[in-house]
Amino acid sequence: MSQKIGCNDYQFTRRRMLKMFSASILGMPISQLLAQAPKDGGSAEHVILFWNSGGMSHLDTWDPKPGRKVQGEFAPIKTSVPDMEISEIFPQLAKQMHHAALIRSIQGTNGDHGRAQYELQTGFNLTPNVVHPGIGSLVVHERDSLGDLPAFISISGQPARAGYLGQQCEAYYVGRPGEKDPYLAFPEGIHHARGKKRLEILARMNARTSDRVGADEMKAAEIALKDAVNLMDSPALKAFEIDQENPSTIARYGDTEFGRGALLARRLVEKGVRFVQVNRGGFDNHGNIFEAMRDHGNAMDPALASLLSDLKANGKLSKTLVIVLSEFGRTPRINDGGGRDHWARCFSCMMAGGGIKGGTVVGSSDKDGMDPAERPVKVYDLHASICQALGIDINKELFTHDGRPMRIVRKDASPIREMLI
Amino acid sequence: MVSFLFDFHFPPFRRPVPSKLAIFLISGSLASAATPPAAIPDFRNDIQPVLERKCVRCHQESKTKGGLRMDSFEEIMEGGSDAEAIVPGKPDESELILRARLRPIDEGFMPDEGQALTSEELETLTAWIEAGADWPEGVTLTEKKPEPVKRVALPANPPATIAETATMVDDILRRENLDHKTITTPTIDDDAFLRRATIDLIGRIPTRKEIDIFHSWGSDRREKLIDHLLDHDRFADRWTVFMADMLRIRSDVPGGNALLAYVNASIEQSKPYDEFVRALISASGKPNSNPAVGYILGDDAMPMELAAATSQVFLGVRIGCAMCHDHPFDDWEQKDFYELAAFFGKTQKVQSRQRGMVYTTEGHEMSVLWPPEDKAEAEERMPVLPLFPFTLTKYDHQPAYLKRFEAKRSTREQAASANQDSASIDALLDAVEPTPGRKIDPVLAEARKESEKLGVLDDLYRASELRNQLAELITNPRNGFFARAFVNRVWAELIGHGFVEPLDNFSDYNELRHASTLDFLAQEFIANAYDLRSLIKTITLSDAYRRSPLPADVAINQREYSELNFTAAPARRMLGEVLYDSIVTAGHLNDFKWPKGANLRTFEKQVRVPTGKMVDAPASTKPTMMPVATAMRSDGYDLESSLTLDFNSLLKKQSQQEIESMRAKSDEQIQAEKMASAAAEKRKTTMVYKTETVTETVDDNPRFTSAMRMATPAPPAHFLRVFGQPTRTGLGEFRDDSASLRQQLMMLNGRITHEASRVGPKEPLHQLLKQDSGRAIDWAYQEILTRLPDDEEKSDARKILSTSPTPEDGMADLRWALLNSHEFRFLP
Repeated sequence: MSQKIGCNDYQFTRRRMLKMFSASILGMPISQLLAQAPKDGGSAEHVILFWNSGGMSHLDTWDPKPGRKVQGEFAPIKTSVPDMEISEIFPQLAKQMHHAALIRSIQGTNGDHGRAQYELQTGFNLTPNVVHPGIGSLVVHERDSLGDLPAFISISGQPARAGYLGQQCEAYYVGRPGEKDPYLAFPEGIHHARGKKRLEILARMNARTSDRVGADEMKAAEIALKDAVNLMDSPALKAFEIDQENPSTIARYGDTEFGRGALLARRLVEKGVRFVQVNRGGFDNHGNIFEAMRDHGNAMDPALASLLSDLKANGKLSKTLVIVLSEFGRTPRINDGGGRDHWARCFSCMMAGGGIKGGTVVGSSDKDGMDPAERPVKVYDLHASICQALGIDINKELFTHDGRPMRIVRKDASPIREMLI
Repeated sequence: MVSFLFDFHFPPFRRPVPSKLAIFLISGSLASAATPPAAIPDFRNDIQPVLERKCVRCHQESKTKGGLRMDSFEEIMEGGSDAEAIVPGKPDESELILRARLRPIDEGFMPDEGQALTSEELETLTAWIEAGADWPEGVTLTEKKPEPVKRVALPANPPATIAETATMVDDILRRENLDHKTITTPTIDDDAFLRRATIDLIGRIPTRKEIDIFHSWGSDRREKLIDHLLDHDRFADRWTVFMADMLRIRSDVPGGNALLAYVNASIEQSKPYDEFVRALISASGKPNSNPAVGYILGDDAMPMELAAATSQVFLGVRIGCAMCHDHPFDDWEQKDFYELAAFFGKTQKVQSRQRGMVYTTEGHEMSVLWPPEDKAEAEERMPVLPLFPFTLTKYDHQPAYLKRFEAKRSTREQAASANQDSASIDALLDAVEPTPGRKIDPVLAEARKESEKLGVLDDLYRASELRNQLAELITNPRNGFFARAFVNRVWAELIGHGFVEPLDNFSDYNELRHASTLDFLAQEFIANAYDLRSLIKTITLSDAYRRSPLPADVAINQREYSELNFTAAPARRMLGEVLYDSIVTAGHLNDFKWPKGANLRTFEKQVRVPTGKMVDAPASTKPTMMPVATAMRSDGYDLESSLTLDFNSLLKKQSQQEIESMRAKSDEQIQAEKMASAAAEKRKTTMVYKTETVTETVDDNPRFTSAMRMATPAPPAHFLRVFGQPTRTGLGEFRDDSASLRQQLMMLNGRITHEASRVGPKEPLHQLLKQDSGRAIDWAYQEILTRLPDDEEKSDARKILSTSPTPEDGMADLRWALLNSHEFRFLP
């Protein structure tokens, strides 16, 4: 009964009402309108997106090219899936790949960071006069929220914006995992009882104003205020305190910012958070790529491997879609500085857990990883797949603030069926 | 599930009433208009014109939205993909009628582009279907342009004063509203006016002293206030925020900060808007010699992007949609767009990697070629001749407002700042000529070398001829779009809605409300030689500006309709910058509130201390832990800081300090390199560190500066961004004023509200609290809400004070609640 929409639709006082209004005119029963997206085969309930900003090399991670000049310093290693090999920088993760699918034939269309980040996170190319929502904002707009915590939380960086979905679908931002967020409790020196007294004074004041002004905007602010107070009181906030974890667990995740981010992501998902995005930079390796990728591997490998095995152990893996994504790949050719440059024509992505048929390899790149050889995958197909895994109708249209209809995924997108359950 | 509806205490559902009818019913004055006309409508005279103007455009063979064609009887009777468009005799089952009855904001509303049906048209169509939807055999329909917007007569004689102009605005608006059934709310009282105008014009709430001064003035106090605010130091800062949104100014692109400072100075010096825009469009050179060039650099000097932006920002026309194809919702063709882009086709951005300098220059080659790249082979593509796609109005007799404009211009001294701006490009290169005894600026020497490489040296001595021409055409007073586009934005900023929305989408197919009011304001803006202050004064002296909001029990349809017709004020929130500065003002945070040493606080901090021991660290050991985020304050309140830019130093010509450092490397690349080098450093030999907890004592006596002059946009998740500051990256992006959880948390628990609430000994209120707590409560209300408390509020406040451990604590609680109240954040 108390179910609410994922990213609290503080504008609904006006717009949602009207939609219901019009729907009832058209004879559509309101219950149908209110029903959350029908579950179209999607079994995932949560998403943890590892966003590796800068353009992560596909050849040095998911798509090794042994014996070719483009191979670079890393040898491929066997994984828990026969015939699926990945780079040696992921030794622990290799043992978990039976939970994962690899897509090795993504065709991007932008070689510029800003544009490509927009494309990969929203599924659309940058266009004037509309800002498309990032995938996290979209997911929490389409799926109801499951607990007290914000439905969309971003760690160690900022995701794409909520665009036309509005402020209320923006990610809740956590600077660094484990760091105290001062905004979740009354300021220092204001003890709980005094804080509550303040809130009572405030409630009396606001009650007087809402008699005077009937604006929906003010009602929306009132709802947001209630949500804020609920959140401050919520026991679920303990999820943020990763120091409460066993030190050996923290060590198992690698005790890096990335590892702590992965650990926090797991704790948040356990408390019902729909979408967690963990950001990591440092992938724009125009020089000395192999040293850099070794370091990235050292940080990512224990974190991702521990996350997958912990989620499996607590039964959450089948409900949690884990994605490792970057804005493009890197040039097969190794440049004079020992680095690789931007490469959007062909790159890879890993998806594991909820909704994913483990051990699948989708598509392939040609012998040097220059272009897709089999089954090219468009960027927006990834978005269609994520929606599909979560049971979100990819044909749905939403409306911008000025009434422009927008498809949530591009019309020509199709989910990658062979890797979806 | 259904509880969702009622959780938030909405009025119970009413029978769905089409919006336009609802207005009739409520106003009650025109009950007869709601009854269908007795006569059966005639197809050719009554029906065909409506369908041709408003429906057929999107429902015909060439474009068949929703699978429905409406260009012939057979087609329309087939219906759309989902429903029957027309059920003869049953308008209530005809999708056409059902959808037209929705409100424009509803899902499924028709027509979803262009102008809505008028209530008369809707009634006629309803009556026609009711009577059996007779369609003469063989008649087919073709799309027609929408009929021109209705206008009323403008005043015959020019106004003598701005106050008179404002009266005329109200009169035109009233006449335009004669056939709109809206509710006109009373005007707000003078205290509310003081608050509203101060917030709008100088970007913060008034101080108690300003309230007292205002009260001391006589009956002309409103005009006096506006004059005073237009003259205020903060006026330019507040309206720089407006311009920075409009121009999409970003500190992180070359020339961004200099442009911001330039805009601020232009407003400060009352540079006429047309001159200002001419400077932006025609500027060439280097940001710190010619800061206006930041406009061109903002879009990387790319012709297509600049054409789209220039048209949309300054003319309110979204011709940019024709970049890739003929405009889908308008009459612009792709060729029109290319011809406009050609004005920018010789401009090039030059960047010198070594010294991080960026400037623009004019090349010989026209880079805009036709046909478009995807439609022809390279060798077939020819340079495009620049052609201005907008017509300039021709007059047989020059209208009075143009005469007044010319008279004003000719009396003004033509020591145009525009000349200064174009001279700077020469200055740039003159400085390179080796003069005996003078040291050559290495930056400029490099500029010369770079330009020689490009073979464009000759052109560097010329300003951009093409862009000069374009600037003249855009800002020509006979170009009907220019003044109106700007007036529309300023009006919306002050009133809450524009005449056209989105504000930058003037089109025959987009609704224009109150065209005559807009025409008149635009003509007066031109007659006053494009003076921003006169325009703002006109609007703020009008009754339209002083409308109060509608009360809670008015139906939303009615409210929105009245707001869109400017007879009731919509709920407006303070801009993020204004909210920030208002908290600083209310809480006396612009100066120290505490004596030195009164707030000593001890922090516990984890630090890494070197042990002096070095070890070899092979590559395979512990992974590196790299701080990716920027350094945070130790208390985590970084998101509320306001570091201001020094606009003066940004405008210093030829400043040795290159503030505009060009970023030859992307952020991503820099970050990757940093991480790599730190990791490499670690690998070689590593100092052994241990983590120690140290205590640090600081005097926590904060002072806050204005948020108006911050680098822009603020970092993600910063207070300003959380309160809706746009990223200013995309065209057509406006402020998002929706509510969010994060906003509430920042207000409830943030440092700035907390510090503003605390009563510091250096505040006058502190002393008063001991002597006369009743007056102290009055002060708190005045300082935060610009009004005195009523009896109930006062007795509540007294109770808060008396039940607190100290009066200071009680006052802090009261002020905290006032600052968090809706009344504080929303304009009166």
